[in-house]
Amino acid sequence: MDKEIKRIITVLTAICILFVSLMAYLTYFQIFKAESVKMNSYNKRLWINEEKILRGSIIDRNGKILAYSEKVDDTYKRFYNYGNLYSHIIGYSYREYGKAGLELEYNNTLLNISESTALNELKNIVLPNTEGNTLKLTIDHHLQEYSRNLLKGHKGSIVAMNPTTGEIYAMVSLPDFNPTNLKEDWKNIVEDENSPLLNRATSGLYTPGSTFKVLTAIAAIEKKDLDREYECTGSANIDGYILKDYDGKPHGKLNLEEALVKSCNTYFGEKGVIIGKDALGEVAERFLVNKKIDFDLPVSKSSFPYKDNLGETDIAAASIGQGKLLMTPLNMALIASGIANKGDIVKPILVKEVISPEGKVLRNNQPQILTKAVDIFTANEVKNMMVESVKRGTSRNASIKNVRVAGKTGTAENPSGKSHAWFIGFAPAEEPKIALAVVLEEEGSTGGKAAAPIARNIIIEALNTIK
Amino acid sequence: MFNIVSLIFKYIFIIIIYLFILSIIRLIYLDIKGIDTKALNNASYLKLVNRKDTLPFKVKEYYPLDKEVYLGRGKDNQIVIRDPYISKRHLKIVEDEGNYYLEDLGSANGTYINEERILDVVKLKNGDRIRVGQIEFLYVGRE
Amino acid sequence: MFNKMVSYKYPRNLLMLFELLALFLLFIYSKDNLNKFTFIYGIGLILIVYVSNFLLLRISTGDTYIFLIVTMLISIGLIMIYRIDPLLGIKQILWIGMGIFIFFLTYLVFKNIKGWEEWTYFYGIGSIILFIITLLFGSRIRGAINWISIGGLSIQPSEIIKLLTIFLIASYYTRYEHFKKQKYGSYYLIATTYLFILFLFLQRDLGTVLILYTLFIALQFIYEENRRLILYNLLFSIVSGFLGYLLFPHVRIRFETWLNPWKYIDNKGYQITQSLFAIAEGGFFGTGLGLGHPDFIPEVHTDFIFSAICEEMGIFTGMGIIMLFLILVYRGFKIGINQKIKFYRIVAIGISILFGIQSFIIFGGVLKMIPLTGITIPFVSYGGSSMLSSFIALGILQVASEELDFEEAKDG
Repeated sequence: MDKEIKRIITVLTAICILFVSLMAYLTYFQIFKAESVKMNSYNKRLWINEEKILRGSIIDRNGKILAYSEKVDDTYKRFYNYGNLYSHIIGYSYREYGKAGLELEYNNTLLNISESTALNELKNIVLPNTEGNTLKLTIDHHLQEYSRNLLKGHKGSIVAMNPTTGEIYAMVSLPDFNPTNLKEDWKNIVEDENSPLLNRATSGLYTPGSTFKVLTAIAAIEKKDLDREYECTGSANIDGYILKDYDGKPHGKLNLEEALVKSCNTYFGEKGVIIGKDALGEVAERFLVNKKIDFDLPVSKSSFPYKDNLGETDIAAASIGQGKLLMTPLNMALIASGIANKGDIVKPILVKEVISPEGKVLRNNQPQILTKAVDIFTANEVKNMMVESVKRGTSRNASIKNVRVAGKTGTAENPSGKSHAWFIGFAPAEEPKIALAVVLEEEGSTGGKAAAPIARNIIIEALNTIK
Repeated sequence: MFNIVSLIFKYIFIIIIYLFILSIIRLIYLDIKGIDTKALNNASYLKLVNRKDTLPFKVKEYYPLDKEVYLGRGKDNQIVIRDPYISKRHLKIVEDEGNYYLEDLGSANGTYINEERILDVVKLKNGDRIRVGQIEFLYVGRE
Repeated sequence: MFNKMVSYKYPRNLLMLFELLALFLLFIYSKDNLNKFTFIYGIGLILIVYVSNFLLLRISTGDTYIFLIVTMLISIGLIMIYRIDPLLGIKQILWIGMGIFIFFLTYLVFKNIKGWEEWTYFYGIGSIILFIITLLFGSRIRGAINWISIGGLSIQPSEIIKLLTIFLIASYYTRYEHFKKQKYGSYYLIATTYLFILFLFLQRDLGTVLILYTLFIALQFIYEENRRLILYNLLFSIVSGFLGYLLFPHVRIRFETWLNPWKYIDNKGYQITQSLFAIAEGGFFGTGLGLGHPDFIPEVHTDFIFSAICEEMGIFTGMGIIMLFLILVYRGFKIGINQKIKFYRIVAIGISILFGIQSFIIFGGVLKMIPLTGITIPFVSYGGSSMLSSFIALGILQVASEELDFEEAKDG
């Protein structure tokens, strides 16, 4: 009988443990996972509020209205004044298709939904909320339009920002779509092979090509005992793989600056192997590669898997921006900003202010330094090399009369198609007011020929119009 | 209006539910504790003499005695014994200045101390045998 | 020691207060659809509950808590069901009324009629007949063939089978000596149980499979003398579990949906994700009755009533319900341990395990802690079959809680 009772108690204990774990899981769920679970566009409760509240407007840095809501018949209708132009930045907000872009990330702000605490619940019942807040962006509408026009006809992305404040002046991603016609076009949009819904600026991952050499150069500078001299013969044998320069033409005797100006592959390939994958990787990570970038929109992580077992060929490839390297255009723009801003990378900002319906500024996003990527001397040294690249090197097409422009081109080989054309840079070099990254996807042309001229025009426009 | 009421009520409901749970747990706990005999060491008590398994109703081995203890079939007594031969309110035992006094409350079948039916209030002595209905108790007094 | 302060009156009165407040609140909520009858039904139920609790205390010498706990559970469930759909709420009140009546009926029947342990074969064959009827005449609702319609009434035979199985196992082990003598006698039970599980697989009623299986293995663990049989059982079940996973696509679907419902959010995962949204929105104290949106959850009055309760009445209420079930199971086990007669002991423990496992499976399922299965929460979910069979089980448990005294000597 005793054995029986012991066994009975065992079963009882087992059931008790089950129940206790149930309660523990419930608590864990509520504390840790509830917030993120709620924010799903399939959660119809997010929409219930919409019907009663006037969703806030979105305006550019000069007050131009980009998106707004108005009462039509009995419900609120959302209007996007510039359609395609802001499709990736503002996104959309529809019952059937969910939300995207800033409409998603700032949903609660646009609807003025406060955190659900007991006090707020009481407040909401006594003084119900009818109007959402307005978002004032850092975007300059004129520059945004201008940039998109330059990119029209191509696939790719442009990110233009202020390297000292982090404000994003323009962010373009093509192909795009018209959020106003989402219902009619949805099927086409979703099935389009070119993925118009993808925000290439934040989520497009490309091999950076020679633009990455600025980071290799930084790693080279930081390796104090590195021999910077090199004799370029047009090709180099790295662990069995033959690395070639553009057209196989030899550059002759080179130092670091010359190598960057002429964008010599063999130089950076061989020096990269000497610097080593860890040093190179460490520099990359200081420039936010492999790291989560805190931003108003979700950003994919750029990746350089340097901790893996990489052979010399892989290291050489990475040193010239090929191989297992993938970067987002936003990350490349931040690299340019970092070098422009004396080695400090600022936090990229898309939303400048949150303004209440009565006009009060509820939140003002101030510039913030994300990380100190490199010391000021190294930054300036690379900056000068980039200025030379524009003066007499591969980035010549970005030069502007009377303005010192710093830049670096890139032509990234794309194993699945034509090469990407890249340009990163900033101006004016002494006191940079604008830094940018331009990538033309599968352009088939070099960065110097295709990307640099676009960057040049954007820089001119920005310097002339942005205050 | 409804919203505010519902808001307030949700807290009230939770409080009531938990009070409910707590009171049940407390009742169960007290039930279990009732069989604890360690606390009896210093008190006077009634000890069951009959063999428990011969009785067709629930009885405990020990009944500790308080300042005033009622015994009977009814649920509102301190000592409840479901013996059909015991009246609803059969007897009471009170404590006065360290002594315990037993009084029959006009029961149908009477109360017997040491086989003598009692008519008045009786002062209990250690070792007295008390018989009610089919039950026989031994009075164990603190001395 | 005899603490007058805490009496049975306290929780009973608390329950009544709770029900009255809820009635009041629900009335303001549906003030446009107020109906004299609704009011009468509501007050009627509150009185019935109060009186039943009071009555039981007088009639039964057994456990007084299990009925009390159950009445709190049915109150919470009823409030939620009424709030979701007043018509269902009224029907539920009727089922509860019937249930309480059946409870007392079962109590009287079971207490006064003896010899339940002799009918082993009846329980087994009866269940098999029910299974066959279900397979032949049953209608498939939401994937599982679970219901039989007779006249206008739908009943769930699996509810009856659950009770029959408990009786089967209890009578088997009570008459174990008798069975041991027969050739292969010791394997009868395992064979029968697996037969039942096979039927249930064919019916696609995976939830009941889990319940029966756990019931069986727990009771076998306690009572089977041939310990090796338990090991074989375990091994065999693991093997058949894998086979089931590989052979039956609907098992695979359940697992995939459990692991990542977000991927299938617009079809297979819809139910569970809506359930999670509701629970997440509720927070610890809930949104308040009538202020949430439980109507966004499919099947909310049966399987997902718990999610609705968590949404509007908070996680704390959800945990309260879990605690009530825990106490119920604990009491059931205590009743079993204290019961001297073997048959009633096994029945009591079986019923406790049933309540415990059934509620755990559905709580775990709607929380995405374990894969979702379509079974009801005893006493809380809407449903006639479920309510009645749960009250029958409770009635049996109530009998088992008393000190039964039968003249015939029973095998120890």
